[in-house]
Amino acid sequence: MKILVADDSRVMRQIVIRTLRQAGHGGHEIVEAQDGKEALELVRSESPDLVLSDWNMPEMNGIDVLTNLRASGCQVAFGFVTSEGSEEMRARASQAGAAFLIAKPFTPEAFGAALAGIGVE
Amino acid sequence: MMLQGPGLTDLHAVVDEVWSSFLGHEEPLLPALPDPASAGGITWSAATSVTGAWNGVVTVEIPDAVAHTATERMLGLVAGQALTTEDVADAVGELVNMIGGNVKSLMPGPSVLSLPLVARGTIASPSDLAEVSCLDLTWAGAPLRITVLARRDAPTQAADRSARNSADTRESA
Repeated sequence: MKILVADDSRVMRQIVIRTLRQAGHGGHEIVEAQDGKEALELVRSESPDLVLSDWNMPEMNGIDVLTNLRASGCQVAFGFVTSEGSEEMRARASQAGAAFLIAKPFTPEAFGAALAGIGVE
Repeated sequence: MMLQGPGLTDLHAVVDEVWSSFLGHEEPLLPALPDPASAGGITWSAATSVTGAWNGVVTVEIPDAVAHTATERMLGLVAGQALTTEDVADAVGELVNMIGGNVKSLMPGPSVLSLPLVARGTIASPSDLAEVSCLDLTWAGAPLRITVLARRDAPTQAADRSARNSADTRESA
């Protein structure tokens, strides 16, 4: 499957990709976006199967990316990987159509559980 | 004047979780006394602000050696590999982003977390902020400091928030 990793931090994108590998998901094709606007463009041009997105990004934040995608009819599986894991943020993510929210700092087990929850084993 | 912010125990728990998750368990974070003599050695500072129901700033100050080691570990590099200034700034910014995001989750919402600001040097705090928590630690023998500052509120607003905060408990991130 193809996974889009969107985060304005290159360091964090590398950590997310490494953690995916540690969680047993190293065989997927990875596409990277460095802000929300690029993420939106890459969803449309690359048609990923899953988007793992930071919340707080320049150009366009993650929740606006998700809202924009759903408004245009795109139902790609979408999960947040963010430092903001409060119940309020989780509720906003869920209401906008996110499948999960992984709070930073995270573990490979958190990634494994989140992906298993959307049927990615 | 009442200032709201996370207690030292909660702040230490947040920092410890970030550090151990991304920088490993080999060298623990240890409490340290403030060391004015080490202040001259701090060369990287990062800050992120929270704006909304709670208004504050979280800062991280670490020496160059800690910033480089943290960057190597976060990128999964072998010690001693060449790093760009952009990579180090990115890693230090991500540390304060994670700590700031978790501090935000401890405080009343709704609020918005800013993108991190990173400097090689120190970042001066705006005059309308006052320190509410300051955590001095050592990691692998080097000092680091995490500070939470809150905006000085009008007394009535602070009292209202204090009443709301008394019912708050820490959310699991």
